[in-house]
Amino acid sequence: MSEVLSLRNVSKTFREADGNLLEVISLRQFELGAGEQAVLVGESGSGKSTLLNLIAGILLPDKGEIMVNGTNPTKLSEAARDRFRAANIGYVFQSFNLLQGFTALENVLLGQMFGSANGGADRAVQLLKSVGLGHRLQHKPRALSVGEQQRVAIARALVNAPPLVLADEPTGSLDARNGVAVLDLLRRICTEGKHTLLLVTHDPQVMKSFEKVVRLEDLR
Amino acid sequence: MNLMKIVMKNMRQRALATWLTGTSVALGVALAVAIVLIKQGVQQRFEQGTLGYEMVVGAKGSPLQLVLNTVYNLDISPGNISWKLFEQLRADQRVKLAVPFSVGDNFHGFRIVGTTDVFFKDFEFEPGRKPELAAGRIFTFTEAALKSAFQEAEQRAKEREAKERGEEVKSAPMPEGTPANRPFEAVIGSTVARETGLQIGQTFIAAHGVQPSAEAKEHTENPWTVVGILAPTHTAADRAVYINLDSFYHIEGHEIRGPTAPVKAEEKDNDPDPGQVSSIVLKLRSPIHAFPLYREINDRQDAMAAFPAAEIRKLFDIVGNIDRLLFAQAILVLIVAGVAIAVSIYNSMSERRREIAILRALGARRATIFSIVLLEATTICVVGAAAGLLGGHLVVAAANGALYRASGFVIPAFHIQPLEWYILYVAVALGALSGIGPAWGAYRTDVAKNLAPSS
Repeated sequence: MSEVLSLRNVSKTFREADGNLLEVISLRQFELGAGEQAVLVGESGSGKSTLLNLIAGILLPDKGEIMVNGTNPTKLSEAARDRFRAANIGYVFQSFNLLQGFTALENVLLGQMFGSANGGADRAVQLLKSVGLGHRLQHKPRALSVGEQQRVAIARALVNAPPLVLADEPTGSLDARNGVAVLDLLRRICTEGKHTLLLVTHDPQVMKSFEKVVRLEDLR
Repeated sequence: MNLMKIVMKNMRQRALATWLTGTSVALGVALAVAIVLIKQGVQQRFEQGTLGYEMVVGAKGSPLQLVLNTVYNLDISPGNISWKLFEQLRADQRVKLAVPFSVGDNFHGFRIVGTTDVFFKDFEFEPGRKPELAAGRIFTFTEAALKSAFQEAEQRAKEREAKERGEEVKSAPMPEGTPANRPFEAVIGSTVARETGLQIGQTFIAAHGVQPSAEAKEHTENPWTVVGILAPTHTAADRAVYINLDSFYHIEGHEIRGPTAPVKAEEKDNDPDPGQVSSIVLKLRSPIHAFPLYREINDRQDAMAAFPAAEIRKLFDIVGNIDRLLFAQAILVLIVAGVAIAVSIYNSMSERRREIAILRALGARRATIFSIVLLEATTICVVGAAAGLLGGHLVVAAANGALYRASGFVIPAFHIQPLEWYILYVAVALGALSGIGPAWGAYRTDVAKNLAPSS
């Protein structure tokens, strides 16, 4: 299985308000193969979201190597890294992060705008249909339930057919029933599209559903 | 999906702030455009108005007052000059045409101008354009009737002076051409006809003074009959009532009381002055005669000459300073509008940071985010400026009615002046400038920090 994600000796330090340095991430090695699905767990404040931001190229590590689909995005210029992220990484957030002024379809098209995927609006519509929102294309986020909003976010993350999908507590804002439905949907689509999925969660039920569970403290 | 669509969405999301800031830009641009249009339109019309008036001769005083009074029927007459001077100038080889004008009365605020038939037959208010009649005919005029009117006016003046001294006055027999058989006829301008409803054959009573006044004495003894209506000329003639000069001197109070200024010894002669006029308009046989004649007339103590075109240019040089001040004020309004746009976008930045972070996480580059904010500020300015441009023209179009009533001419409200394009460029540049600060803030947004859940 070829590696889609590989991290080696990655560390990230932040300067606290009192001037002290706080090492948030320090991991030796972590890899995920193509189409693999893993859940990343850790205590609150252990750096799970920071790790996702490092993988996505939103943050840069102090040292170490991050390879995504054969490319080290940290070596790219910021603009090239942005383009790389749009094309190679789908990001699903706990709080959905949909743009309120845009319809469901427009939110998905926004994801497509910065990426390089073909298919235009047809692919966006198809994806929304596949997450069960074919009848809600022109609805704005406020008119959608939280479960529906997260489905839009999933469609947006996948619109550029990225090899890697990062999901930061995607069920964290949902009730149990919606949480299960959204998780199943995300996993099913990633499986069908052979997208590698790295999902951060606190939820034991979610952890149980994954074969590969990675504890952040074990990577140190 | 494209950048402009994102910008439009952002603007719609903050519709009130967008509308208010856009309106402030529109107001600034409308003000600037209206100032430019009115100033250039008025100047153009005033300059056009002088085309037929090569030189104006009148009593010593302000040349501008003389020009305003003679050419535009504005202001009051600086005084009278002698009929003999008119005759001298008419006989001068250098003079092609001399037209006398006498003012002193009004009808419903429209100035009554005494003149001769030369005004209709030979005078051109613009090269090749003589006053044309829309209906009727011009008034009857003869030099003999005028001379008789002068005698009559002189006689009335003498009688009045004698009465004032307490002497017994014996009425002398009236000269020939008495009011009973002298025609009191008028040709009215197109605006006068429209606004007063006067038609051919109808009569009217003049009131004393060039401006309407509740206390003004009405000349009820002699009503004038409308015999002609002028076609619109878009000059001050549209707002004037032209009467034959002889009938003017029959009006009570229009007596001849001697020269208004001392006359040089060499200018004196033994012949009494037969009459007076308010001003004379001259057309010369050649432009080379203009300055010698101008100097000769101005060298006299009882008259002066003025070049209307030069006086109007001087007037607009003075008005131009006020105009520049107003224009500067409009630019200030635009700058304030620009600051308002910057403040409005800055104020929305706290809620925008999350959206910006989301866009960045989706792959938008910093430059793209910078462009979105800059484009938003510029779009508000461009749309506001376009609305202001239209608004400025509409304001002028709306003001044209009042302007026409006041001055007899209108400004071409929908003619684009070159300066308007500069106003538009300034507005766009201002939009871009006002957007730079917020766009820089957006550019520097910390993505990771703003992506975190807010609760």
